[in-house]
Amino acid sequence: MTAWLFGICAVIIHSPDEIRARIIEETLKARGMNVCVCPTLADMDAMLKQRSSWVVILDTCHSLSAFMPFLTRLSQKKREGKALRISLILQSEDFCVQSDEALQDFKFRRLFCLPDPIDPEKIADLARRARPSIIPVIIAFLKNTILETIRLFLKTMIIFFILVIGLAGGYVVTCITSLPSTESIENYTPYQSSEMYSADNVLLTEFFIQRRTYTPLSQIPPHVSQAIIAVEDTRFYKHNGIDIIRIGGALIADLKDRTYAQGASTITQQLAKMLFLKPDKTITRKVKEIALSFKIEKNYTKDRILEMYLNQAYFGARAYGIEAASQTYFGKPITAIDISEAALLAGLLKAPSLYSPYKNPKKALKRRNLVLKQMIAYDLISSGVYKKAVTSPMPEKFHGRKYKAPYFVDHCRTVLKPKLGDRLFSLGLKIYTTLDYKMQEIAERAVNRGLDELDKRCAKGIQAALLAVELSTGRIKAMVGGRDFQISQFNRATQAWRQPGSAFKPIVYLTALNQGFKPQNTIQDSGTRYVLKNKQTWTPRNYTGVYHGTVTLKQALAHSYNAAAVNLASRVGIKNVIRTAQRLGITSEIKPYFSSALGASEITLLELVCAYAAFAHGSRIEPMIINRIMDIDTFTITEPRVSSSRVIGERELAYLKSLLRAVVLQGSGRKAAALNREVYGKTGTTNGFVDAWFIGFDDFLAVGVWVGRDTLTPIGEGEAGSKAALPIWIEFMKGVQQAQ
Amino acid sequence: MNTTNEKMPSDQSKMPNGEPLASGPSGIDIGTANIVVAQKTGKREITRVQLNAFYTLPYSRMTELALLNEGGMFVKANGKIHALGYQAENFANIVGGIVKRPIAGGILNAKEEDTTFIIQALLNKLIADAPVKNTKICFNIPGSPIDDTVSVFYHEAIIKKYLEQKGYQAEPVNEGLAVVLSELAVSSSNQPYTGIGISLGGGMCNVCFAYLAVPVVTYSIRKGGDYIDAMAAEAVGETPGKVRIIKETQLNLTKTPVGKIETGLHIYYEQLFGILVKSLQTQLGSTDRIPLLRKGVPIVLSGGVAMSPGAKEKFKLALDTVRLPIVISDIILAKQPLHATARGALKNISSVKSGK
Ligand SMILES: Nc1ncnc2c1ncn2[C@@H]1O[C@H](COP(=O)(O)OP(=O)(O)O)[C@@H](O)[C@H]1O
Ligand SMILES: [Mg+2]
Repeated sequence: MTAWLFGICAVIIHSPDEIRARIIEETLKARGMNVCVCPTLADMDAMLKQRSSWVVILDTCHSLSAFMPFLTRLSQKKREGKALRISLILQSEDFCVQSDEALQDFKFRRLFCLPDPIDPEKIADLARRARPSIIPVIIAFLKNTILETIRLFLKTMIIFFILVIGLAGGYVVTCITSLPSTESIENYTPYQSSEMYSADNVLLTEFFIQRRTYTPLSQIPPHVSQAIIAVEDTRFYKHNGIDIIRIGGALIADLKDRTYAQGASTITQQLAKMLFLKPDKTITRKVKEIALSFKIEKNYTKDRILEMYLNQAYFGARAYGIEAASQTYFGKPITAIDISEAALLAGLLKAPSLYSPYKNPKKALKRRNLVLKQMIAYDLISSGVYKKAVTSPMPEKFHGRKYKAPYFVDHCRTVLKPKLGDRLFSLGLKIYTTLDYKMQEIAERAVNRGLDELDKRCAKGIQAALLAVELSTGRIKAMVGGRDFQISQFNRATQAWRQPGSAFKPIVYLTALNQGFKPQNTIQDSGTRYVLKNKQTWTPRNYTGVYHGTVTLKQALAHSYNAAAVNLASRVGIKNVIRTAQRLGITSEIKPYFSSALGASEITLLELVCAYAAFAHGSRIEPMIINRIMDIDTFTITEPRVSSSRVIGERELAYLKSLLRAVVLQGSGRKAAALNREVYGKTGTTNGFVDAWFIGFDDFLAVGVWVGRDTLTPIGEGEAGSKAALPIWIEFMKGVQQAQ
Repeated sequence: MNTTNEKMPSDQSKMPNGEPLASGPSGIDIGTANIVVAQKTGKREITRVQLNAFYTLPYSRMTELALLNEGGMFVKANGKIHALGYQAENFANIVGGIVKRPIAGGILNAKEEDTTFIIQALLNKLIADAPVKNTKICFNIPGSPIDDTVSVFYHEAIIKKYLEQKGYQAEPVNEGLAVVLSELAVSSSNQPYTGIGISLGGGMCNVCFAYLAVPVVTYSIRKGGDYIDAMAAEAVGETPGKVRIIKETQLNLTKTPVGKIETGLHIYYEQLFGILVKSLQTQLGSTDRIPLLRKGVPIVLSGGVAMSPGAKEKFKLALDTVRLPIVISDIILAKQPLHATARGALKNISSVKSGK
């Protein structure tokens, strides 16, 4: 039967490496599949003429591009005028081929891309899945014929009918077709939570849809299973999948009142139901459920069924499986659960939300005590135990988990979710991030201390953010997005667009250096009037209110003279300044106004820090958050590459660094000179002390600090970048140095 | 006199002990130290071992009679008489000489004269001509040595040619793979014929990582039991022959060595295993052929060198010092270390090829 099924769709393999081809071949053969190895692509072409439906396994070894002509040909292949239906499994060294647009255009029936190393078992699974299935044909038949007839009957008759079809059809279907195979139950891997780690292997958080840990029955205390059997399926050990007596009882009880403890489905049926991925209330589905129940009973012992059920069942609050439930509601493992707690968990199964001790404590209590009553009714507990259990308190606290480096983790989730989809929560991935947890702790401490100091001087409600990026690679090493993630999840390092103020000026100066200016060249720092587009005039003012006349570029940047900066911008052209910004990786819109030279166009801390990273090395870097993602079998599914490109010339770079060094040695960043090593940077302060910045770097990290209020109101009088932000920056840099 | 006559091999298709020569499909292991033939007769699998050695004497009627008397393991040529196999060793011992070997370091010693002739003679004494044309026979070939530039091509071609002359359809099998075929039909990893087969022979160590009987990584190093003997002998000022006897008869690698010879043997066992596990690390680590394995795979040790008590434990200690790209579930010793290669070669004909 299976051989025939596989036979209707042949599988062909080609690999430039004979051994790799044979590895795949032997695995598929061991699974009973018909498979041929084609030593050359010409052999494959010849094969394809024989039939119209194929599973093609192509191992591109190290050159996907070399196979592109063949793939093009393959996707256009026709047999007797009709397009071939080809499912393509592409084994390639490069995971990125998945997103290769050319491939997507090829319109294969199915397309799977697998990275190295070869995972023969996965290939076999995919090949098996890619074969045309007979199941939909049968389901369609059931739908079209039986369903139409059944619709004519009354509701009660329908229920009766379900049973008849379920019993008779169930056996037939079970025996004849491969309707939901019990093999799939066994192979059913419960969703596994993914784990996120820092680069130094600290577990930052787990991502999960369902908190699930598979617990064997032997580790589940007997009173837990007893409580569940007592309330869900008292005749569990007696029936063979379907409990007709119960269905009758439930129907009668349903008609009389609604207090009957058990539902109509047995534990086996409920398990069968869980194995269908999507809820579906059609009659064919009901038939399949019943058929599957019989099949489960035929293939598994009662204990195994109970074990699978306990590990699959939903207990509310995103807790799937008994262990997760125990952790969620009581914050302890299932092995430590007492009778009353077991009863509460058992009670949840019927309607987890309705009987939630958090949402409906009264209903939950009543339900729990009903379970306990059932237990005593079935002699599972003594009356002494019962009396004690009914008086024990209900859980109050939700045992959710906190996570480390929350802003960073949240940032990663936002980036990864669109790429990985639900796989992020369900595949048991191990995500190794770039974060250096030691550095992160230093950053959090520096920010907290800085905020404490600010709280002493200013009104409450100040926020701060810090970002540290590795110069050579763009790896984000530390990220603080605010004061307290529990209170505000808004990430001020990545999501807050704020005016950078003078911290933007180095971009203007770099533009000038690119045009041949030298640090010792002079410019005018004077009250020049500029005519704006709207015909109004604007005269930039300096922070101190004093103009300094002829100054060198070095002096002008070190002391952050506004008038000089605007003067320079007007000479080099604001359009060119914008172009420089873009080349440095700034994507936020820089408006073509002179005020942009003074940092009036909003950008993020992340953009600014990356631009400063380029000031250190001359290369633009892409910020990286992920070192590697591995799947549950610990094979790497993605390992982003460091990408950087040269954007600043050698000479300009040296000049720019001398300018930024002067800020620290003589200018607004003098406090940073206290660090006894070469650091570079620039302060930034916006009008009315709304934003305070310090962005800088040493020879390893580019680090930026922002301080301000979410309300865009002043931090406090005199809270300039050098006063509000720089101390946090210094504190962090000191901490990092000490830790090394 | 009567008894002497009975011992005389009047029928050339009989072994000295009276058993008929191998003639059906067989597996042959031509090693540096031993030649082993495995053959299936009915349900039973028979293996025969002969020393892969010869000892040359000037021809005399006396010598020929003596050799005939002892089972006829000899061949005459150009006025010389070559005692073969165990007979060669017996004669060498009597005369106080040393046997010669047609195979050196696992590969046919083509530089020495007579060696191909001797191999032919030895095979003739072990295998009859094919009863039916194209009867299948499978022989071992070493993996390419990683510590030498020598090719195994010549060796393979000569043996194949000679077996074909005898009417067989001869097919080579990698020696490490043969070990896997012989020992890992059912392995702890649940995948049949998946694991690392290592044959620790006299002249070389052969390694194969096989996945479902596909030889994914194969190689050899040209060091083995002889190397241990020679190095230990050199170090302690003894003859390799004496060292070998100690090694084969009283060495126990789990116990503290007694005396200088045992100490030397311990040290060179450790060194050889050190080289071996390092080579595993580099060879397995430098290929993109190894598939993703969901379970660990076993390592099976075979060959004469694996027979010293405690060899497995010593190997395990060495293995713990390296990191392999695959997980090792188990280290196991072949059931009959000397016969594993030949049995695997036999299996390569019968079961694997016909779909297990
Ligand atoms: N019982 C034993 N204990 C230790 N070493 C042995 C034993 N028997 C044979 N050897 C050694 O094993 C080697 C020969 O093994 P074998 O597998 O037959 O080699 P080859 O394949 O090269 O012929 C020789 O070095 C021999 O000294
Ligand atoms: Mg051997």
